[in-house]
Amino acid sequence: MARFVLRRCVLVLPSLLGLLVVTFLLIHAGSADPAAALAGDAATPEQIARLRLQYGFDRPLWEQFVLYLNKVSQLDFGESAFSHRPVAHDILQRLPATLELTFAALVLSIGLGVPLGVAAAVKHNSWPDYLLRLLSVMGIAVAAFWFAIMLQLFFAMNLAWLPLRGDLASTMVRPPVVTGFMLLDALIAGRWDVFFDHLRHLVLPAVTLGLGGLATIVRFTRAGVLDTLQQDFVFYERAMGYRWPRLIWIFVLRNSLTATVTQIGLLFGGLIAGGVVVESIFDWPGIGSYTVQAILTGDRQVMLAVTLLVGTVYAAVNILVDVVHGLLDPRLMERA
Amino acid sequence: MTAKITRRQLAGLAAGTVVTGGLIPARAADTTTLVSGFQLPQNLDPHQVYDVPMQAMMLNTYDNLYRYQNDPPEIVAWLAESHTVSDDGLTWEFKLRPGIKFHDGSEMTAEDVVYSFRRVLALALGPAGAFLKILKPENVTAPDKLTVRFKLETSYAPFFAAIPSVCIVNPRVVKAHEKDGDWGKAYVASNDAGSGPYKIVSEGYRPLEYLDMEIFDDHFLGWKHNPKPVRKIAGRPTKETSTRILSLINGTIDWTDGNLPADQVDQINASKLAFVQKDVVMKTFVIRMNNAKPPFDNINARKAFAHAFNYDGFIKEILAGYATRDPYPQPETLWGIPKDAKGYDYDLAKAKEYVAKAVAEGAPMKRPLEIHVQSENEQSVQGAQLFQSDLAQIGLNVKVVGDIWSNLTNAAAKPETTPDMWVHWVSTYFVDPENWVGQMYDSQFHGTWKASSYYKNAEVDTLLRKARALVKQEEREPLYEAAIRQIMADCPDIWIYNSMQLQGINKRVKGRRFCTVGQGAEVRWVTLES
Repeated sequence: MARFVLRRCVLVLPSLLGLLVVTFLLIHAGSADPAAALAGDAATPEQIARLRLQYGFDRPLWEQFVLYLNKVSQLDFGESAFSHRPVAHDILQRLPATLELTFAALVLSIGLGVPLGVAAAVKHNSWPDYLLRLLSVMGIAVAAFWFAIMLQLFFAMNLAWLPLRGDLASTMVRPPVVTGFMLLDALIAGRWDVFFDHLRHLVLPAVTLGLGGLATIVRFTRAGVLDTLQQDFVFYERAMGYRWPRLIWIFVLRNSLTATVTQIGLLFGGLIAGGVVVESIFDWPGIGSYTVQAILTGDRQVMLAVTLLVGTVYAAVNILVDVVHGLLDPRLMERA
Repeated sequence: MTAKITRRQLAGLAAGTVVTGGLIPARAADTTTLVSGFQLPQNLDPHQVYDVPMQAMMLNTYDNLYRYQNDPPEIVAWLAESHTVSDDGLTWEFKLRPGIKFHDGSEMTAEDVVYSFRRVLALALGPAGAFLKILKPENVTAPDKLTVRFKLETSYAPFFAAIPSVCIVNPRVVKAHEKDGDWGKAYVASNDAGSGPYKIVSEGYRPLEYLDMEIFDDHFLGWKHNPKPVRKIAGRPTKETSTRILSLINGTIDWTDGNLPADQVDQINASKLAFVQKDVVMKTFVIRMNNAKPPFDNINARKAFAHAFNYDGFIKEILAGYATRDPYPQPETLWGIPKDAKGYDYDLAKAKEYVAKAVAEGAPMKRPLEIHVQSENEQSVQGAQLFQSDLAQIGLNVKVVGDIWSNLTNAAAKPETTPDMWVHWVSTYFVDPENWVGQMYDSQFHGTWKASSYYKNAEVDTLLRKARALVKQEEREPLYEAAIRQIMADCPDIWIYNSMQLQGINKRVKGRRFCTVGQGAEVRWVTLES
């Protein structure tokens, strides 16, 4: 197992390097002068020239890339032109909020998606199946920003059940930062008021972000379970007198989840990237809005670091998916 | 029947309580916290950043020697009691009030002011642009505990107008956090080093997301003028317009910044909790023409374009009347505009005549042209599209190109990379013609975004430089009038309107004072009614 994981990790490195090269070239080809971005609106040409020299932006592109790579290897992602703070610091401060939102969306997608997918398969070609298929197509098709506004209008404005924006009521004092994850920090500080308030703020962004994933998981689980239900061993086990619930949840589901697990892996990276829109709409203080700002202001260091981060998360989740596949079907691990 | 609650029922009850907000205090009852929807500055260091969001933040957290107050703006003594200037305009002395305290309780002295100005010059960012060419660090001195002396390299009248752009920081706090001679840049970017009426709460800041401030009871002005002040400011900027409007309507935020879209005014005014406050600000909307590129190097071509913009249609239809036509190169409310100045009107027949003249002079009027807009700003896109359709009527082909601010300012560094035309606003960085005509049309500023029309007229250069070197407004005014008269005759740009700020405000907010510098974000005057 360890060798399997190690091999996967080594294979990921060239992919990340390739990602960095492509992103570096694209950003340099298309975005603003980083010295001008650093200098700000009221800067004179002399101020901009001084910064260009100071940060080495006047050097050849390959030299800039080598310098950047050297810094990245020391986990130094440079300084944000927007906040004038170290990018690594900004990202570390924001990443927990994004991960919290992503996990919440994922839990929602899996927690509802798998049972609904099973239900659709078991009730194959009946009205619950038709309804779930229709809803899952709508879930995939609907635009996140539209769905978010609808949720805001209904749950925050009309019913006033849930907050409209942000991650905590403005009257509340934030608990001391220990892990950066607000839910955990609130628990550590014994602040139940913060815990529950943060949870309420999490609901609408998590539902918005999780909708597409939920629909995908319903579809893949349904297809996998339907396929498995046609297998001989299911007929055999039914003949042996196993009841449906036990048969489905113990035997059928395990043999149906390979495609679903692959999708969950892809979804995780997609949720982090998709969070950009959702975080902006709900003013969720994660890396999403930070990334939007970086793109609008031509903040190269942030764009590079976030791309690398999302790429790394994708790669890590893919490795995890391979491991889970191996656990579900040990033959795969042996072959690898 | 027993009253036993099952685990499932308990979980349901907990979920219900969470969903219905049973554990959450109602914010509406809290009259001590103002939730502000103003955009946050790039970081919290007023010496690194100087723009409109920073003005809104620094007015609450920092103090300056003089400050702009009221509407129309007046420059009033703030930390300083008074000032003097030598006849040659080179030596300026400011007398500090005694007994001013920083947030850490230490007393402010003239040395602290000297340190602050030297820090501005050393960092050479944000507000430094107004001082770098005229002030050397060693020429800012403190002859005594309460006197600060500035010895300028050359006489520069806008020096005084730019004084409010420099905040006084606490050197004891900054120096304690210096790293590798960075003037405490990293620290002040995220922390408090001021003396203003509100201080930043520890761990209450995340860039772009939130900023919490609490009242500073020992502020030098005291609080007698406002017996029931706001105790806490919760800065909660909203990124999306729809969220901003909804937050205002349902009372989540107490006020927005002044950039509400005109088409949202009726909806907000119809709500129970909020209304839209309209204030005329000094913020002009301009279409720049690149005078260094044909056909814009031809005066008749430029006039053709100036007559082809539907000024009234844009202001009345697209902006719903929430702007005032300003045909001058600076806000019409600012001194320096000649009384006989007449702007360009929307007249396609005249535009056609000028096109014909330009063509006769060899200007390539049929060349495909581009107008760059700030994509994220709907108004700049709509203005360009309206212009495009009118130009098409007189046979001119213009393509609207979406862009972002940083790309545009970067491109404006050279005439070759500056777009044919681009759309932007010029805000008030300091209240003086220098902020507009001085920096937009003196050719020594070529290479900056403000001077991106690459206009050059030796006579105008002389007038503007002369005006800049004089101290008395009555001596400067005729020079600016002459310069503006000439600039308008040369028509280097298309001047469209002066803005009206639309700020959404909760009805419980009372006592707000407006000034064009800072968009009325100074909270010390405000009271929240229950």
